[in-house]
Amino acid sequence: MAMAIQEVTELDFSGYSTTTTTTEDDGACAWNDWSPVVNWDVFSRDHDDFQGLIESMMDDDEPDHATVNVPEGCNSSMIMNGDSTSDEDFKGLRLVHLLMAAAEALTGGNKSRDLARVILVRLKELVSPTNGTNMERLAAYFTEALHGLLEGASGVHSKHHHHSMTSNGPYRDDHHHHHQGDVLAAFQLMQDMSPYVKFGHFTANQAILEAVAHDRRVHIVDYDIMEGMQWASLMQALMTRKDGPPAPHLRITALTRCGNGRKLISTVQETGRRLIAFAASIGQPFSFQQCRLDPDETFRPSVLKLVKGEALVVNCMLHLPHFSYRAPDSVASFLSGAKTLNPRLLTLVEEEVGPSKEGGFVERFMDSLHHYSALYDSLEAGFPMQGRARALVEKVFLGPRIAGSLARIYRARGEEEEEGCSWGEWMGGAGFSPVGISFFNHCQAKLLLGLFNDGYRVEELANNTLVLGWKSRRLLSASVWSSSDSHFGN
Amino acid sequence: MFHAKKPTMNSHDRPMCVQGDSGLVLTTDPKPRLRWTAELHERFVDAVTQLGGPDKATPKSIMRVMGVKGLTLYHLKSHLQKFRLGKQPHKEFNDHSVKDGERVSALDLQRNAASSSGFMVHSMNENLHITESLRRHMEAQREQLEVQKHLQLRIEAQGKYMQTILEKACETLSGENMASASYKGDGSQGIVEMEAMKDFGTPVNFPCLQDLHIYGEQIDMQQLTDRSSLDGFLPTNDSVCLGKKRPSLHGGSSKNPFIWLSDDFRLQELGNMAACLGSQEDSFKGEHLQIPPSTINSTGSDLDSLSDVYETKPILTGDAMGEKKFEASKLERPSPRRASLPVERVNPAIKGAALSQGRNLPYG
Repeated sequence: MAMAIQEVTELDFSGYSTTTTTTEDDGACAWNDWSPVVNWDVFSRDHDDFQGLIESMMDDDEPDHATVNVPEGCNSSMIMNGDSTSDEDFKGLRLVHLLMAAAEALTGGNKSRDLARVILVRLKELVSPTNGTNMERLAAYFTEALHGLLEGASGVHSKHHHHSMTSNGPYRDDHHHHHQGDVLAAFQLMQDMSPYVKFGHFTANQAILEAVAHDRRVHIVDYDIMEGMQWASLMQALMTRKDGPPAPHLRITALTRCGNGRKLISTVQETGRRLIAFAASIGQPFSFQQCRLDPDETFRPSVLKLVKGEALVVNCMLHLPHFSYRAPDSVASFLSGAKTLNPRLLTLVEEEVGPSKEGGFVERFMDSLHHYSALYDSLEAGFPMQGRARALVEKVFLGPRIAGSLARIYRARGEEEEEGCSWGEWMGGAGFSPVGISFFNHCQAKLLLGLFNDGYRVEELANNTLVLGWKSRRLLSASVWSSSDSHFGN
Repeated sequence: MFHAKKPTMNSHDRPMCVQGDSGLVLTTDPKPRLRWTAELHERFVDAVTQLGGPDKATPKSIMRVMGVKGLTLYHLKSHLQKFRLGKQPHKEFNDHSVKDGERVSALDLQRNAASSSGFMVHSMNENLHITESLRRHMEAQREQLEVQKHLQLRIEAQGKYMQTILEKACETLSGENMASASYKGDGSQGIVEMEAMKDFGTPVNFPCLQDLHIYGEQIDMQQLTDRSSLDGFLPTNDSVCLGKKRPSLHGGSSKNPFIWLSDDFRLQELGNMAACLGSQEDSFKGEHLQIPPSTINSTGSDLDSLSDVYETKPILTGDAMGEKKFEASKLERPSPRRASLPVERVNPAIKGAALSQGRNLPYG
């Protein structure tokens, strides 16, 4: 339900009123609560003054602009653009500016927070999570996320809980309240529409295969097994390998977290059963165990059952689109613990973040916006007609991630925390040594991406990392490590 | 082009040649032409090298260095020009074959070798180069084929596994629905999901072959643009119907009903997904969208062959599920109704997919 955006060329000061009467079908009663707070006279002119407002804000860098004076020359350099093809670009740009302004306003004092509310109300009118262009839908989710931060920050908990807001705090990308059918559909669609999951899985699997080429017994410790998809193709590859002992025994230990009856796609037990059945169906010798993490998610390596003579591999998938967020402490505990086990190989897949780790909230906010816009673009480029399918994936997976991600960034503002470095960087410091990516692996990644869309790129970095990106934006990286003490020649 | 030949070998049907005092061989036709013998040419090349290469040397200086009587500037000018041209393209081709192994075909390499080597010494080296790069090129291609093969199998395995997830979910879902409890309660979400699946052309209740095919077609078009490296990998343009290419797989054993390609098994998965979601028999149908099964019959013969394929193919999901059997019979019966999904959906998709990369955001 996006309101029509007028052509900017008509700067009509006719006193046209833009009262924001949020109607019923908006579905978000929370927004109405805000409107009495605002002096709507200020906004009783053309929409475009809002642009001017933003412009003046950005120029002065002053948060206190609750009363608006109409800027006589609305900074036209950013606005005037006659041709229709850039209409959408212009609209998109405008949304970005509004979002950025809101983000900035959020970091200020109370008055500035009022401004943020105003901006968010305005944004809410312009965008919708299910209709419109990529940018509009993306902006809708960011708007919601910011709104969530506002509410959390001011301590006001609205009764009218917006239906897709995360209420469980920043450490839970909340997609549990979606219906299971939705989740499954979104999961399948996402797999089909994008190479992210396959890229992570296949790159890790290929590295594993190469590392255990001559072993009879393989033991994989999986940090977050989810629905177990990764291991299906590994099993297939193990069964059909030409060199080395045939039909090696595969043992998987999956870490489980206690407490949450979290059932995104399946529980770990279900996954185990499924893997066992699958292995049986292809004749792969297989066994499955679980290993419980402490309540605070500390990993105790001693709890693991290790068998002599088996090749130990540690697999750590993070940040895949359908994965839940894992707190840095948990990951760190796992990786450190893994080091003590001296694994033959450790495979790590994580999100690539921009270099703005040192920046403040707004910089990281913009970086996040950039990241997700690349993600949205990549989905659209491959499947331009399947808007509803994409909207579902966005709703079930990406939207909650955006909210969670922003919440974390917000919490971390001004703290210069360790959220800064990537795990890949951390690994070197932890004593792991890089293992090179083989030609086969690299070639496989390229072929895989070729199945999807030309816009995807794979780069090889630092000799042991493949990075999947969309156009110029890096999105996901897969790196391979080994414990320096264990003997593994590559 | 330029072949250094002995004066006695007269491959160009030239009139007889006469050897003059200076050692130059001139033809006896009205316009005396100089024959560039091997020896003369060698001296020429020496002189050119001495002067710093064909680009630096001038006809005048070459003439001076060579010191051959009777050799005119005119002779040297034209010979030098040919020499320069002869060197240029030959260099380029060599580079290409080394760097861009995928593009150069064996034929190209051979042709280049023949055309650019007028100079026997050069041509021998070139042939060696060419053989080397040819070998390397073929090796790279072989490896790439290996990778393709494996990738295909791995994606298949994933698809198979996905199937098991969906089957399990279907059981759960249909179980829930029998109790008719939670699913209907979340009506809105159900609609979203149905809408999303509909996006791919699968009507909720009865997945129609043709609809599945549309989805497949869209994917195919998307993937087929410029996939020169995957020629053996994906179905080619002329057989959008996937079944045509792999009759054996389709008719194949129930043990491995999961077929390549990715879009192919997607079709199946979606079909099953939609099927199991649609298998809820209660007023579910009434509540939600009326999605008539549709027939797109204007896209031609491909569809017919696809429907053949689907008819012969065993329905994949386990026989254990009674509902699936029901669906199976539905699948085989082609629907008589007219397209609810307009054909226009297909063409723009193809165009759109093939051309644009989607709206490029400021950050894109």
